[in-house]
Amino acid sequence: MIAPTPEPADAIVAPGHTYRSITEKISGIVLTRSTPKPWFAGMALAMGLLLLFLYTVAHLLTTGIGIWGNNQPVGWGFDITSMVWWIGIAHAGTLISAILLLFRQTWRTSINRFAEAMTLFAILCASMYPVLHVGRPWLAYWLFPVPNTLDLWPQFRSPLVWDAFAIGTYALVSLMFWFIGLVPDLAAMRDRAENKWARYFYGILAMGWRGEAGHWQRYETAYLLLAALATALVISVHSIVSFDFAVGVLPGWHSTVFPPYFVAGAIFSGFAMVLTLLIPLRKLYHIEDLVTAKHLDNMAKVMLATGLFVIYGYLTEAFIAWYSGNPVERFWLYNRTFGPYWWAFWALMLCNVLIPQALWFKGVRSRPILLFLVAIAVDIGMWIERYVIIVGGLHRDFLPSSWGTFSGTVWDWATILGTIGLFIFLILLFIRLLPMISMFEMRHLVAPNPDVAPTPLAAATPTGEQSPGAAPASNTLYGLMAEFDDPHTLVEVATTTYQAGYRKIDAYSPFPIEELPVALGLRASRLPFYALAGGMVGALAGLALQYYVSLVANPWNVGGRPLNSWPSFIIVVFEMTILFAAMTTAFGMLFSNRLPQPYHAVFNASRFRHASQDRFFLCIEARDPKFDAVQTKAFLAGLHPAQVMDVEK
Amino acid sequence: MFVVISLLVGLAAIAYLLINSPVVTGVRIARTQPVAYSHALHVGELGLDCRYCHTPVEVSNTAGIPPTETCMGCHAEIAPDSLALAPVRNSYAQNKPIEWVRVHNLPDYVYFNHAIHVKQGVGCETCHGRIDQMPVVAKTESMQMSWCLDCHRNPENHIRPRDAVLTMGWTAPTDQAEMGSTLVAEYGIEKARLMDCSVCHR
Repeated sequence: MIAPTPEPADAIVAPGHTYRSITEKISGIVLTRSTPKPWFAGMALAMGLLLLFLYTVAHLLTTGIGIWGNNQPVGWGFDITSMVWWIGIAHAGTLISAILLLFRQTWRTSINRFAEAMTLFAILCASMYPVLHVGRPWLAYWLFPVPNTLDLWPQFRSPLVWDAFAIGTYALVSLMFWFIGLVPDLAAMRDRAENKWARYFYGILAMGWRGEAGHWQRYETAYLLLAALATALVISVHSIVSFDFAVGVLPGWHSTVFPPYFVAGAIFSGFAMVLTLLIPLRKLYHIEDLVTAKHLDNMAKVMLATGLFVIYGYLTEAFIAWYSGNPVERFWLYNRTFGPYWWAFWALMLCNVLIPQALWFKGVRSRPILLFLVAIAVDIGMWIERYVIIVGGLHRDFLPSSWGTFSGTVWDWATILGTIGLFIFLILLFIRLLPMISMFEMRHLVAPNPDVAPTPLAAATPTGEQSPGAAPASNTLYGLMAEFDDPHTLVEVATTTYQAGYRKIDAYSPFPIEELPVALGLRASRLPFYALAGGMVGALAGLALQYYVSLVANPWNVGGRPLNSWPSFIIVVFEMTILFAAMTTAFGMLFSNRLPQPYHAVFNASRFRHASQDRFFLCIEARDPKFDAVQTKAFLAGLHPAQVMDVEK
Repeated sequence: MFVVISLLVGLAAIAYLLINSPVVTGVRIARTQPVAYSHALHVGELGLDCRYCHTPVEVSNTAGIPPTETCMGCHAEIAPDSLALAPVRNSYAQNKPIEWVRVHNLPDYVYFNHAIHVKQGVGCETCHGRIDQMPVVAKTESMQMSWCLDCHRNPENHIRPRDAVLTMGWTAPTDQAEMGSTLVAEYGIEKARLMDCSVCHR
């Protein structure tokens, strides 16, 4: 895992970066008292919109959802349109962090953290809409199977319940993935923070992470497992959201093309949103050397590809409507194009079909400002797409006598602007408080660089010359620790130490080193088996839950269908499998790493705070049978470390 | 992590206990009434029929609270000077109803009809308990929706012959399930529709 130097032409990190410069640059954005002025401007805007949102919600709660434009026949209006839009945007984060990780796309590294945070905030914004739409948001937990005194349970044959499970699972797994990814960086923040409260804040969140070889090994296993599980979610969540429509019998909705078409649209809009946010941010924080032109180019290409998928979806919808020979379907096609909402359809064609074609040209992809404009067009286009599907499908269905029209009220608009405010608010808070780029993964991408390794404290504690007489009898000695410059040396000395017969040894590094666990004689993590077991428990629990609810607790006759209609149980079983496997993985990793651990002796070593940043350490513990304060110190000194330190208990 | 899990389990347990506790359901909490009227005396010892006071119970959605005149019908003659009956005499003299404290109260979104339940063999005792032993009336059942549904799902387990509806201390026969099924058929109870939302939420 020691990265090769990337070629300068498509550099994903500008040349000249080292472990230290990466750490300093990214953590420096947060660990400083100076906040850029545009941040305050953005925050003022966001808080203004947030106030508008709070006012709107207060008005909604005191008046009822009649303040929205929703009515017969358009019972879903701006709310579901916006919910699907936000959920779609949420897809980029997991795609970037999970699928691109599995495909070993190293360029994902500088944008995955940001995109994952965006995912979480977008899910939060999305969940506002169904929660508010139920009218009494404090009862929104009724969407989930909670034992209750009403003796009522969710109807597991309804796509809306599948949706609640899919989005709930997606939110939880994304949160775990994001947080697990953050832990080593939080440790770096803890070790770099100068303010006491900042140290506590990051210290508590970092849970005592110390970058041990074994920690990293289980961490990498867990991260890969979570990526694989999240990948299944990226594909499934928007498929299930599309079932909200596709399972209905409405013309224009009842179509098998919906799942793939929705997933592609989600990724399309997600990448557009990442570009919309990153293009100004990289300029504001001068991180063009980390989020390079290559990143923008790659993201533009993903957008172009998913955009073509979406166009294919439009064509298929039209073709099937014509080919079905069904007059209602054909009328829907005509009505969509030339009916009362013709303007929405043609705006959609402009934003989602025509404008993204500019991305074929390198000249557009390499100019951030043009790319930004295309991304904005797609953001808007994807909202209009859902509007066309929902309002266009509902306002004229089978019975002309029940036709009607819909238009959003001022409160509909206020709600959308409000959730956008909430989103910007959370994003700005995130970039001010947490490292927006994954530091430990970025360290993989820079070559080990010996020229930045002067050891400032070396003079203060001369190598191997700490009064040998004082050490032996000490009962307070935890061990001896040697510091090294680069990962290659650490692997070499770890091998040497192990071969010399020492067993109670540990190595600490600021990023995972693949060869290190082998050098230290650690066996592979058993986490995958636990994750498999967790997944199976989840599947059985999901099946048992639905069986119990649908046949025992709340047998409900739906159009004479069998109570045990297992095909409709598959989705919740799937979601529960993923959720349980992911929780087993995340908590199993923490548990097997004995985290959270508030105190550990290695933190007493004077230079140990560099273990989370840019330096590499080897520790021989005093409880090793071969340990001898004098000889062991001499042995370590013989390995040519930058220095050797005593570690007190 | 264990702390978090045990905290969640503990919270769930507390929530479960709380939601079924008298604090929420009001079960076994006797309400002090403006008049120290004892059902135990009137029904249990004197053997008054329920319908003597709750006259509309067989024909109306409500069982009805008796007017002061019903009390005075007897108490003009029996214990006319009793101190305990002073509020009743005041009410009668001033032509102002006694403000009884309501013990059983269903939410407004529930449509409940006494007449249909009495007619279809649901005993007074089934919902109100041993009124004949209560000096002061308290709820004996939670009146939660799940409690209603217990009977609406399987009425045959709970209903009794019509002539036993007013009986206090009725013991179910050993062949309750069999007899119940016969009664369900005889009374024309449409079991398939008893679980419809609109039966109670109209």
